[in-house]
Amino acid sequence: MGASDMGLLNDEARAWAKEPFEPYEVTVSATDIARYARAIGETNPIFYDAEAAHAAGHSAVIAPPYFPYTIRMQAANLRHRSELEPDGSSSEDVPPIETTRAMAGETKIEVGVPVAAGDTITLEKRVIDIYEKSGRSGDLVFVVQEFRFTNQDGALVMREEFTRIYR
Amino acid sequence: MSNGDMAAKIVVGAEIPSQQRTPDAVDLFTFSASAWLLHRIHYDLPFTTEHDGHPGLLVHGPLQGTYMIQSVQWWLGPTAELKAISYRHFAPAYLGDVLTCGGTVTAVDAESGTFSVDLWVRKQGEPTPAGGAVEPTVTTSGTATFRLPTS
Repeated sequence: MGASDMGLLNDEARAWAKEPFEPYEVTVSATDIARYARAIGETNPIFYDAEAAHAAGHSAVIAPPYFPYTIRMQAANLRHRSELEPDGSSSEDVPPIETTRAMAGETKIEVGVPVAAGDTITLEKRVIDIYEKSGRSGDLVFVVQEFRFTNQDGALVMREEFTRIYR
Repeated sequence: MSNGDMAAKIVVGAEIPSQQRTPDAVDLFTFSASAWLLHRIHYDLPFTTEHDGHPGLLVHGPLQGTYMIQSVQWWLGPTAELKAISYRHFAPAYLGDVLTCGGTVTAVDAESGTFSVDLWVRKQGEPTPAGGAVEPTVTTSGTATFRLPTS
C-alpha cells in the first residue's frame, strides 16, 4: 500500500486501471435506435421513420445525441452472468477494491457526427484516472473512464469521460 | 419556426422552458433495457434498500443528463445539435420524485454558430413537519453547448 492511501485504493487497483480493454464493434440497427428513443420519450419521426429522416437530410434514421451510451453499456454488460458483479455491474468496469456500492459521478461529453441506422461503431475505452477521497460517509474511490466512439468512416461520433464512484 | 423566431429566443439570459419529468417504473425499466444496463439499483428494490441503503430505486444519472439535453432540443428542435455537455450529480433522484428540468442561455456565439446553456434537474422538496416553504433540491446540473438551429 502506498503512503498516500486512505484505505481503499491499492497498487492492485492502480495496475488494474492500466490494463487495456479490447475495442468493441457493433452495427447499429434502426430497432436499437428506436428502443433508446422510446425509452427517453422522443416523438420526432427522424428517430423512427426512414422517410422522415431522409426528408431531414439524413441517409437513414438517426439516433438521439446520447445514444452511444447504450453501446458502451452493452459492451460492458452483454456477458455471461459469471462476468457480472452481484449488483449487476460488469466485472470488467469494477476495480479490485473492497467496496460494494457504486453510483454515477461526473459526465463530460463531446459530440461528433450523429449515429445513423446501419453504422458500424467502434468503441475504445480506457481508465484515465483512479483516485480516492474522504467523504462524509467514509472513503470514496473515483474511477474515470474514457469512451471514444468512431463510425465506419473513422469519424468521431462521441467522446465521453464518465466517473463512477465506489464506496 | 423560422430562423428569425429562433434567433429571438436564443439570447443571453433567456430561460429554457422548464419541463416536468417524473419517471415511473416503466421509464426506469425501458431506459435500463435500451442500454442493457443491469445495475440492480434501478429495478431491485430490496437490494437497493438493504444493500445500498437507499430509500428507493434510483433514477439513472444518464437519464437525467438526457432530460437536460431534451430540455433544449424540445424547445428549439433537433437541429439545435448537441456539441458538448458536462454534468454532475449532487443528490440522488428516486423513483416517484417529481423532477423538473430547465436552464438558462449563458452565451451566444454567432461566429462559431453555437450557444451555451446552464442546465439543471431539480426534485421537489419533502414537506417539512412545520409545513414551511419547501425548496427544491438540485439532483443534477451542468453546462452544455449546442449548434444554433438552422430551421
